[in-house]
Amino acid sequence: MDFIKRLQLSWTRLGALLVLWGLPVDVFAAVEKETGYDMPRDVSLDGHRITWLINITMWFLVILFVIMVAWMAIAMFKHDENHPAEYDHGDAGRQIAVAMSISAVIFLVVDGNLYINAMKDLDEVFWNFSDVEKNPDTVRIEVNAHQWAWDARYVGPDGEWNTADDPVTLNDIRVPVNRPILLQLTSSDVIHAFNLPNMRIKTDAVPGTMAPLWFQAKETGEFDIACAEHCGSFHYKMKGRLTVLSQEDYEAWVGEISHQSALAYNPDDADAHWGWPWKEL
Amino acid sequence: MAVPENAYDQLQAVHHEPTTFIAKYIWSGDHKVIAKQFLWGGLIFLLLGGLQAMFIRWQWAYPGQPVPVLGQIFFSDSGGIITPGHYTSLFTSHGLIMIFWAITPMMIGAFGNLTIPLMIGARDMAFPLLNTLSFWTWFLSGLMVLASFMVPYGTAAAGWTTYPPLSGNAGTPGWGQSLFVLAIFTTGTATIMGGVNYITTVIRLRAPGMTWDRIPLTVWGQFLTAILNVLFVPVLAGGGLLLLLDRWFGTSFYVAGALAGESAGDPILFQHLFWIFGHPEVYILILPAWGFIGDFVSFFSRKPAYWYKGSVWAMTAVSIMSAVVYGHHMYTTGMAPLLGKSFMLLTLIISVPAELLFLNWLHTIYHGSMRKTVPMMFALGAIFVFGSGGLTGLPLATISTDLYLHATMFVVGHFHLTMASAAFLATFGAIYFWFPKMFGTMMNDRLARLHFWFSFIGLNGVFIGQMIAGYAGQPRRLYDPFQYAFTEQLLGINQITSYFAFFLAAGQIFFVINWFANIFGKREPCEQNPWKVGTLEWSVGNPTPVYNFAKIPIVTCGPHEYSNPECIEKLGKDWQGQWETLDGSEPKLPDPVVVGHHHHEEDDVTDETAPAEE
Repeated sequence: MDFIKRLQLSWTRLGALLVLWGLPVDVFAAVEKETGYDMPRDVSLDGHRITWLINITMWFLVILFVIMVAWMAIAMFKHDENHPAEYDHGDAGRQIAVAMSISAVIFLVVDGNLYINAMKDLDEVFWNFSDVEKNPDTVRIEVNAHQWAWDARYVGPDGEWNTADDPVTLNDIRVPVNRPILLQLTSSDVIHAFNLPNMRIKTDAVPGTMAPLWFQAKETGEFDIACAEHCGSFHYKMKGRLTVLSQEDYEAWVGEISHQSALAYNPDDADAHWGWPWKEL
Repeated sequence: MAVPENAYDQLQAVHHEPTTFIAKYIWSGDHKVIAKQFLWGGLIFLLLGGLQAMFIRWQWAYPGQPVPVLGQIFFSDSGGIITPGHYTSLFTSHGLIMIFWAITPMMIGAFGNLTIPLMIGARDMAFPLLNTLSFWTWFLSGLMVLASFMVPYGTAAAGWTTYPPLSGNAGTPGWGQSLFVLAIFTTGTATIMGGVNYITTVIRLRAPGMTWDRIPLTVWGQFLTAILNVLFVPVLAGGGLLLLLDRWFGTSFYVAGALAGESAGDPILFQHLFWIFGHPEVYILILPAWGFIGDFVSFFSRKPAYWYKGSVWAMTAVSIMSAVVYGHHMYTTGMAPLLGKSFMLLTLIISVPAELLFLNWLHTIYHGSMRKTVPMMFALGAIFVFGSGGLTGLPLATISTDLYLHATMFVVGHFHLTMASAAFLATFGAIYFWFPKMFGTMMNDRLARLHFWFSFIGLNGVFIGQMIAGYAGQPRRLYDPFQYAFTEQLLGINQITSYFAFFLAAGQIFFVINWFANIFGKREPCEQNPWKVGTLEWSVGNPTPVYNFAKIPIVTCGPHEYSNPECIEKLGKDWQGQWETLDGSEPKLPDPVVVGHHHHEEDDVTDETAPAEE
């Protein structure tokens, strides 16, 4: 028992060491699996807005669908050949008014709820990039997608993008918890889409253009980054890892990665210098 | 101004019955023969597209395991296993084949051709030769599709949406992708030929008395679809042509990023061109179905269609709006916020006319006396699947909810319930309904009902299953969908979904037997008007002569005159043919009739004084 205890302890020590060295942490923590058919766990500050709007809309739709099916069932089983048909063209003013009113009520309640909340959510959060850009806490990351991986670039200590001290990673994006993360996405070959179901968001990475995306994680952990645009035979293998770290762990990691990137920097390797000066929105 | 009694009969030629085999069955100008040609062609491609769907479902239920039996035939190079390369080709060509070579020829090519002249009282299409060319151009495009499977690197693999740069030379090298794009261009030409013909025929060749508010809803659906086709297929064709220039001549309309060098184009341009066509296309594939449904629910509820004009206006409104909602396919491309929000509002608004259509159908069946015939069951099934599919479009129309749902299996389930399942059920309903008109015999009722229940349960199981997986986050188009931590638990639901798909496929055997037995077997001749309905195609006997109507009928009433107490009393039946009068007299030409563009003052005088004469 003592042996096992010592072993565990040493593993923890080794782990801390490895984290500090910026080696993959996979050996210690795997991505938490989901169960059931619900949406994946929401770990973002604002994802609950999307979850709520989808779910309340689903309830509206279930109600409407049940009404429709009940209506059809009565017609099928009660209003069959034993039930006299009404010779009526349904075009009296009153009948038209009823049809229009039912449509208007459905539109105002279901579509109206969707529209008002979506406009609010977009303006306040999901398409509100200017507040995120102004926020001094924001962490900026450039992401370049290609068949079939995600390159990520952070700005190095010199504050300049696309220089030797930029922390650069492959399929491994680490971010601090409780801070806005602002991504600029592009692709160097075909169209990909950066998909984070645990944050309820996705945005296309299109060659030749840059698209922004932001989120804020509210808990630490590891999550999968999927590609949501068909990008070739191995589209399904395009998987990145998002690691949400505490502020201290993040700072330790990003400093180490910056150091390592500077060591590995090869001024002649043009392909590795894919970054761009940050584009203020 | 009086018009000679036989004026209408002289305006349209009476074609002679063809005498040679080729003139009768191959190079025919008869709209009824062309309808059958399109139906055969569409059914064959439906079989192919359906087989591909089964392979996709096999892969999602048993990833990487060899396909039983058929794998040795279709995937012999990989030991019966579907490889990632096969898989991308499968879902790409499944989508394109089903849309352009199965639903379009069956629903529009076959039933547009069959119903328009017969239902409006015309002797043929306005341009019979153009009609022949339309079919054979479509046939040529089908050969290109089949050829694309035979060339090195295989067929198209960039998704049915064919987004560049993936659909460019670097993403999908070889002739397969090019041939498929060329085939889309070619079939687009065939569609435009058909569309011009349909529009002209409906406007110019309606029988006297067949006013715009007496046209069967089936013809309205085909007419509006033809307008959308003529307007928007050229946009797709143009977009496809630029893609071929990129592929063959090294232009870079759509190439950007590392591949482009100095002369970068814009991949998003293609998406705009594609969806300006692509969104009207989903209405192109549903308007004819709405037409069938609108007519069938009236026919088999033995009741006039509830608020006919409302349905016509709703279908027209949807057609007009269909072109200004397409941006909802592109919310995640980083489009300008104002543009995205405008598309969201317009997309939500387009749900209103669809709701009105539903209300009209529900009112019709509720106030009717339902006969659960086979076409009626298919129409009710189509309403059911279109209801669930249409409703689930709302969270996809809305930007914030779409940020999560976009490109998941939820989208796949949604659009398969609307444009695939509803179109499928409505089209098979149309086959069962018009089979006696086409082949002079009724299909077997028991087999048809088995076909219905297998199809209905199968379609719902497959696409509701897909929506559940998509709600849980499963992205679409994944060779092995269980690669991610948030999808690993979804293998079970995917397997259940696949069982429903195999059930759906198995049920098609009842149709195949019914089809072959009644076309090549001993045909029991059926009565001329087996459904007891009043549209004009049932006023002529079987076999219908090549010129349809020896004498152009004079139309006396709307298409849905059922259970009229006066009709029951005077004619002793619950339906009034559009060619019949209630007092049993010969129908008279509408008075006054304005022939050509002349408009004399005396017509106005007649018009004003007409009521006074009564």
